[in-house]
Amino acid sequence: MSVQERVSAEEAVERLRSTLGDDVGDVEVRFGHLDATCSAENLRHVMTTLRDEPGLRFEFFTFLSAIDRSEFGGPDKPDKHGGLELIVHLYSPAHVLHINVRVPLDLADPRCESISAIYRGANWHEREMRDMFGIQFEGHPNLTGIYLPEDFEGHPGLRSFKLPNRAFIKPWPGAKDPEEAAAGGR
Amino acid sequence: MTQIRTPEDVAREVAEGGLATQQMILNVGPQHPATHGVFRLLATIDGEILAEAEPVIGYMHRGYEKLVEARDYRQITNLVSRMDWLSGFNNELPLAMALETLMEIEVPPRAQWLRVVMLEMNRILNHLMFFASFGAELGAITPTFYAFREREDIQLAMESATGGRMHFGFMRPGGLKEDVPRGFIAQALKSVRQVIARLDQYEDLLVGNEIFKQRTVDVGVLSREQVMSYGVSGPIARGSGVSDDVRKDEPYLVYDRFDFNVPIGHSGDCFDRFWVLVHEVVESARIVEQAIEGLPAGPVLGKVPRVIQAPEGEVYVRAENPLGELGYYLASDGDRRPYRLKIRTPSFNNVSVLPEVLRGTFVADMIAILGSFFFVLGDIDR
Repeated sequence: MSVQERVSAEEAVERLRSTLGDDVGDVEVRFGHLDATCSAENLRHVMTTLRDEPGLRFEFFTFLSAIDRSEFGGPDKPDKHGGLELIVHLYSPAHVLHINVRVPLDLADPRCESISAIYRGANWHEREMRDMFGIQFEGHPNLTGIYLPEDFEGHPGLRSFKLPNRAFIKPWPGAKDPEEAAAGGR
Repeated sequence: MTQIRTPEDVAREVAEGGLATQQMILNVGPQHPATHGVFRLLATIDGEILAEAEPVIGYMHRGYEKLVEARDYRQITNLVSRMDWLSGFNNELPLAMALETLMEIEVPPRAQWLRVVMLEMNRILNHLMFFASFGAELGAITPTFYAFREREDIQLAMESATGGRMHFGFMRPGGLKEDVPRGFIAQALKSVRQVIARLDQYEDLLVGNEIFKQRTVDVGVLSREQVMSYGVSGPIARGSGVSDDVRKDEPYLVYDRFDFNVPIGHSGDCFDRFWVLVHEVVESARIVEQAIEGLPAGPVLGKVPRVIQAPEGEVYVRAENPLGELGYYLASDGDRRPYRLKIRTPSFNNVSVLPEVLRGTFVADMIAILGSFFFVLGDIDR
């Protein structure tokens, strides 16, 4: 292996744009980590490129997860609400770089290509996401439950799944802060 | 009178298909002492060979990622402490760092140095525990007594500062709960110097032991390619010659100020994983010594708003936990509670490689391989 110069985050953004072009949407740097978006159809191609491209070499699979943005910002800010998003986080030990790849999915019928053939560690993470968010990964070798019992109903990761002890909660009757209480609350 | 068959006769019969053999499913666990919790292994065995081994997890799933969405940040500190119960203080750190990043809180120097002291002491506690259990799994009970003698002194120091022996709950966004009491420094120094002085005994007891070597050398080999593809980290990855250590690669707190080595194995077998673990103990002890020597004076809590409320933003923060890379992906929408907190625990990725490593090994080596993967079930299941 030849000794390579470390690539900075800004240079990596340029390389991402030149190698993947329109396959990744806007590439940003947030808190030092790259942040890119790609479609579910292109995910496998993007992952293979990220892993094998000499200037990037995101070889280390960190995690795969999802976020349901349907209540983001709370009930007062409906303009911030979004859909379901898959997040794949990769790390490049050669260049000490991180990347978040975001894949927007359809909340009503979430489907995505499995990347467990590219990063074998994604196997269990995809099974976890199937349990928690109901995402169907096409081409996964064994997409069965990992955490939840087989007869469990619902997908707890989704915002529509309410914790039973929080569903009927009454607001706290007293003052919320000590200062509020001192100012004449309770 | 029946004719007695010679071994050659039997071998010929088997070769001709006369003696039918079939694979057998052996269920290991969920309650098995080698699994440090409730972990089940469905092993398909063909004679003495493990044809397939499928870990079954989830017996301890407590749904932290959902629970935290209904709790504020003060409560979450104590929840995450209970994931990997052997390194509670280390679990609390990345969450505090994620909040400090989003809220732009500056941590005073004394708090940073004290954090390093306690993080590394917690790392020693964790590693000594696995030193003890790995010995016990291979049939040697003495390492347990050695390790618990040292652990007790470190526990006393931690207890004097935090009041806890496992779940310290001492971390706060912006620093620490309070300053350490009088006597902590002396007790901490005494306990880590003891560890350094006694490491030779540990080496003699297990690392240099011929029986131990025969059970572990060239057993359960994990390749560098597997480490990367599965996201394996910590002492297990470094046993396979991967030099990644977050403390060196992306120094957080004040880790760039200390002189320490990252022990690295080369063959990726059970022995190298254990060798790395034992040698990390002395490196951690050296960091504690240096951190205590340079400990600055001053406050231990920065300027923190009374209500912890992270502004809108998303950040992934990771740290080198004793078992590997622990990271939190915190997505905040400006509330007192996280909108989503993805917890990336080291043991989950580390254990997911087990089916590949166990395939084709001997049943007799199974416990040695399981033990050398140093996992905590609470850390896998969250």
